Amino acid sequence: MVLGGSLPVQAGEHPGRLLASNCFQCHGTDGKAVGDMEPLAGKDVYSDLKEMQLGLEGDPDSIMRPHALGYTDEQIRWIADYFRAQPER
Amino acid sequence: MQISRRKFLEWIALAGTGSLLPGMGVAADRLEVKALDELLRVNLPRPGLVPGETGAVGRVLVIGGGMAGATVAKYLRLWGGARVEVTLVERNAQYTSCIMSNLVLTGQLGMSSLKFDYAALARNYGVKIEIGDVVQVDPIGHRVMLAGGKYLDYDRLVIAPGIDFLTIPGLESATAQDAVPHAWKAGAQTLRLKDQIQSMPKGGSFVLTIPKAPYRCPPGPYERACLVADYLKKSKPGSKVIVLDANPQITAEPENFSRAFNETHAGVVEYHSGVGLQGIDASTRTLHTSLGTLRANVINAIPPQKAGSLVINAGLANVGGLWAGVDVLSYESTAARDIHVIGDAAATTQPKAGHIANAEAKVCAGAIVRLLRGESPDPAPVTNSACFTPITMETASWLTVVFGYDPLTRTMKPVGGKASEAHAPSSEHFKDMIKWFNNLKVDTFY
Repeated sequence: MVLGGSLPVQAGEHPGRLLASNCFQCHGTDGKAVGDMEPLAGKDVYSDLKEMQLGLEGDPDSIMRPHALGYTDEQIRWIADYFRAQPER
Repeated sequence: MQISRRKFLEWIALAGTGSLLPGMGVAADRLEVKALDELLRVNLPRPGLVPGETGAVGRVLVIGGGMAGATVAKYLRLWGGARVEVTLVERNAQYTSCIMSNLVLTGQLGMSSLKFDYAALARNYGVKIEIGDVVQVDPIGHRVMLAGGKYLDYDRLVIAPGIDFLTIPGLESATAQDAVPHAWKAGAQTLRLKDQIQSMPKGGSFVLTIPKAPYRCPPGPYERACLVADYLKKSKPGSKVIVLDANPQITAEPENFSRAFNETHAGVVEYHSGVGLQGIDASTRTLHTSLGTLRANVINAIPPQKAGSLVINAGLANVGGLWAGVDVLSYESTAARDIHVIGDAAATTQPKAGHIANAEAKVCAGAIVRLLRGESPDPAPVTNSACFTPITMETASWLTVVFGYDPLTRTMKPVGGKASEAHAPSSEHFKDMIKWFNNLKVDTFY
């Protein structure tokens, strides 16, 4: 994927890391979830998040629909890029 | 076999008290406690590796091991690597979570499920744990003194002491505070309040007072009112929950809590806004308020709050003399260099609550790692506040809001202007609450 954004890239630090860490509270550190929560590590969450923003994905009263609206398209690209790069286990 | 047992326990946990298990009485109650506790037991994932070299070098001292302090200690190692030496100083060997603690009051959850120690942070990430009490911060000498005289040096200090309480007139003595527990720091007070509620007579009255914002966990008092009302409805018919709110209106999830008070718990909850509390006589359980004088079987008075005393004693409470002003790009204090304040003690536009304290801690950890590499903090940090709040013993609501940095005001601004809340409480949201809490605790303490 070509990332259109211009977040300052630091050596050795994925530019989406701090943004993606907003997902860790519910989906586990680096997306490695515990219990019945959906893990994000190794997955591509871009299209799911975009569909949640449009109200097409997830339960109609899911917390993720309004939550997903809190991020711009560019931010969602960085978040998706971060989780795709994480090992599943 | 395991799955079906788990599903069974889940079903029991979400079922109403005794209603589906007639005649089991105490045994059914005990099973329920075990069931919700069981759902809070999870298999831990393999922890992330601490990198050997990230370019960051330094000693960071973290004071306070709550949601903010434990998270920052973990992420300083995970993101900063082996050459960032992290020591966590905490007064207590165990932390007790305020999140979920209202379910202890209803007898649905045992306290042991809410206690976490620091062994995993030490084992998984090499955080040094120092159980002790910081009595002095020396910002010039870059060191702190512990009770007993030991000194700890730092390059960067992170203070996360949480809240302390202002005294309600009449509740100055320890005896009075025992008789009228706030239970706004989970622990012994939570169990004391639980005992008081469970000893209430049928047709009794429970009065909850809410201080003016800002206070810890904006939806928490309303959640407590709902859960106590639901418990009393089932176990002490004819009882009342009277909520005396110092705020002009409900401060969080106004739609769901209004509906809960006016419909779900109609006839049990009586909500009054804009009520001033002048004092409490603990021995006679009498409240003196701007509405008049009233007596209750149980009084749960949540006192007005301020930053943990360490922040105030260190001269960092430069916002109203109560809270620590910070630069939200790094959470560095606006009163002292190289000292960061995160979580409930900091004065920001964000709520005082555990989930967002975890997010603030990550912004702070990321900023400190960059500063230790001679770089600048991320110029556009994002945080989020999200939480699930029981409305009954089987259903929950939620709220969520994402905050983004606004360079003009140098504050964190809610995207969309305000928090969103669930359309309606449901048992699905109650199950999601358990998933949320399990992941939040692992992201923070493991």
